[in-house]
Amino acid sequence: MSNAKVMIVDDALFMRTILGTILRDKGYTVAAEAASGIETMKKLHACDPDIIFLDIILPDANGIQLLDFIHKMKPQAKVILCSAIGQEAIVKKGLDLGARFYVQKPFSPEKIAEALESLGE
Amino acid sequence: MDMSQYRDLFVSESKGHIQVFNELVVMLEDSPADQSAIDELFRHAHSLKGMAATMQYQAIADLAHRMEDLLGKVRSGAFSFSPGLADILLEGSDALTAMISAIEADDERLPDTTDLINRLAGFDAAGNPSPPAPPVAAADVAPGIDDRDQGGPAPDHQPRHTDSFKSVRVKTETLDRLVNITGELLTTRYRLADRALRCEGAQLEEPLNRLSMLLRELRDEVFQARMLPFSFVADRFPRLVRDLSRKQGKEILFQVEGKEIELDRGILEEISEPLVHILRNAVDHGMEMPEERIAVGKPGLGTIRIVVTRDKDCVNIVIADDGRGMAPERLAEKAVEKGMINREQANALTRHEALMLICAPGFSTAETVSDISGRGVGMDAVRVAVHALGGGLVIESEVGRGSRFLLRLPISVSIIHALLVECGPLTVSFPVNAVKRTIELRREEIFQEREQFFFMLDGRQVPLKNLNRLLGQAPTPDARAFVPTVVIEAGDTTLGLATDRLLGQREIFVKPLGIPLSRIKGLTGGAITGDGRIVYVIDATAL
Repeated sequence: MSNAKVMIVDDALFMRTILGTILRDKGYTVAAEAASGIETMKKLHACDPDIIFLDIILPDANGIQLLDFIHKMKPQAKVILCSAIGQEAIVKKGLDLGARFYVQKPFSPEKIAEALESLGE
Repeated sequence: MDMSQYRDLFVSESKGHIQVFNELVVMLEDSPADQSAIDELFRHAHSLKGMAATMQYQAIADLAHRMEDLLGKVRSGAFSFSPGLADILLEGSDALTAMISAIEADDERLPDTTDLINRLAGFDAAGNPSPPAPPVAAADVAPGIDDRDQGGPAPDHQPRHTDSFKSVRVKTETLDRLVNITGELLTTRYRLADRALRCEGAQLEEPLNRLSMLLRELRDEVFQARMLPFSFVADRFPRLVRDLSRKQGKEILFQVEGKEIELDRGILEEISEPLVHILRNAVDHGMEMPEERIAVGKPGLGTIRIVVTRDKDCVNIVIADDGRGMAPERLAEKAVEKGMINREQANALTRHEALMLICAPGFSTAETVSDISGRGVGMDAVRVAVHALGGGLVIESEVGRGSRFLLRLPISVSIIHALLVECGPLTVSFPVNAVKRTIELRREEIFQEREQFFFMLDGRQVPLKNLNRLLGQAPTPDARAFVPTVVIEAGDTTLGLATDRLLGQREIFVKPLGIPLSRIKGLTGGAITGDGRIVYVIDATAL
């Protein structure tokens, strides 16, 4: 159990819903959800998340650009990249730029637990 | 993890992705170099793949994966967007739709897509006519990374994302029930007011007025919640026009204006198929082949436009083409040949009446019945659907210049503002937007020519009919000094209807009539008044 605040960034409501359910089951608070880069930028400051699940393909930005923004605005927030198979190059770049972990979709409670453990949660 | 609870969400969101995907493909055919649209396509395929994999629908994930791969190649510049590519992508999205529909219908046997997946995988080598791949620039950029400037405003084809905390999804049945309950509340309020009048209910007046006000607010809010933009039905039209015109070798520029204008979803649902029929007709019969157009001095590329505008409580939808048009005299001739009217009647038809012949049951101008038109919904069904919604249909056409179909529809159904009229033992009503005005005619103002009665209105001679007789009721017994008359407008004709008594306007909650009443021509629905009487709603155009 943790009382860490989590933000979920994914353009699919379906994905946000599933991930949100997994996280709430584990006792986390989902402080905000965002479906686009702009929405993430708008909500980031107010919700002040400890952990961000970041989809790397979004309608108006890619995860790398957003990662950069998040690091500047909330340097203490830990970012976990999420993506379906096939985006290994961009994932690698994200990890090089300071993302803590990578979860490949489809999500499962076990994979999410593994990602959270890697953050020391 | 039990995924079944997420199935509905998966189905509805996947359909959204596929819808936008289709629109983007059709759009890219017009502007194949639009890189942001290609990125968008890629993203939709990618999202679908991830969602399907999460739901463990492997067949869908595999197909979406192949489509994503192919788009990845276009995105990186390996080859350019071509009509052949558009075809295979649309084929892919059709297959995805079929699989998602199967899931929605609880059918575990998903269609086999092995062949399509192989063709998608081998697309580059399989005779894609595009020029050889340009060298991929910027070797330090990993594939899939989008380094272009993203600072500008988002392209207008990007789907809207609602603020996830401020909006919720509601089942449409819930909205339908809300309208029903609101309608029943309005009826109950009239009953309450009726009782209050009879039992010295003076102290009830203030709360009743307050109740009326709140009910109006409730009705407005409920109706607003049911409103959807016209794009809800129109977004599939570009694909439809594209597929039809490609199949026939026609070249058509298709445009929709006013997609953002909102209508009640009930109306959108009812109007969707009629609009498809009009569009099919426009492509199939209205539009000429490019060489035929050029031969008569027109541009080879034909145009079909849908323009939607709002006018008070109505929405006007115009479907216009610049094709070959229709000749009223030829339509009249054909109706005579088919024995629908005689020669004398044909000669007496106005231009508009002759054009409206295409809406008569059993009338078709098609030389041959192709698989494109004539699929059950004829123009007669279009007319019936429009009138059932309390709307109107007008057809304009000019030979060589094209045709225009003008649909006028109320923005919402169910609760309408109506004029109530007494007709023998019956109370009937007209939607207020069908009523031009009401007048009390003096006996001497009514005159007779041959078998028909007339009166003068604004300098025009208007025919007068007896509503009692039209509805098969006993005529008004006593000769009256004044005849209460409703003047209605249907299409471009004006008609006076003599009634027994005008009862005034009120809001009524219209319900569809059951059999056998629904078979009676001229009645579109019924409502219950405060004192428990049934009020029939009259379709003025059917009189």
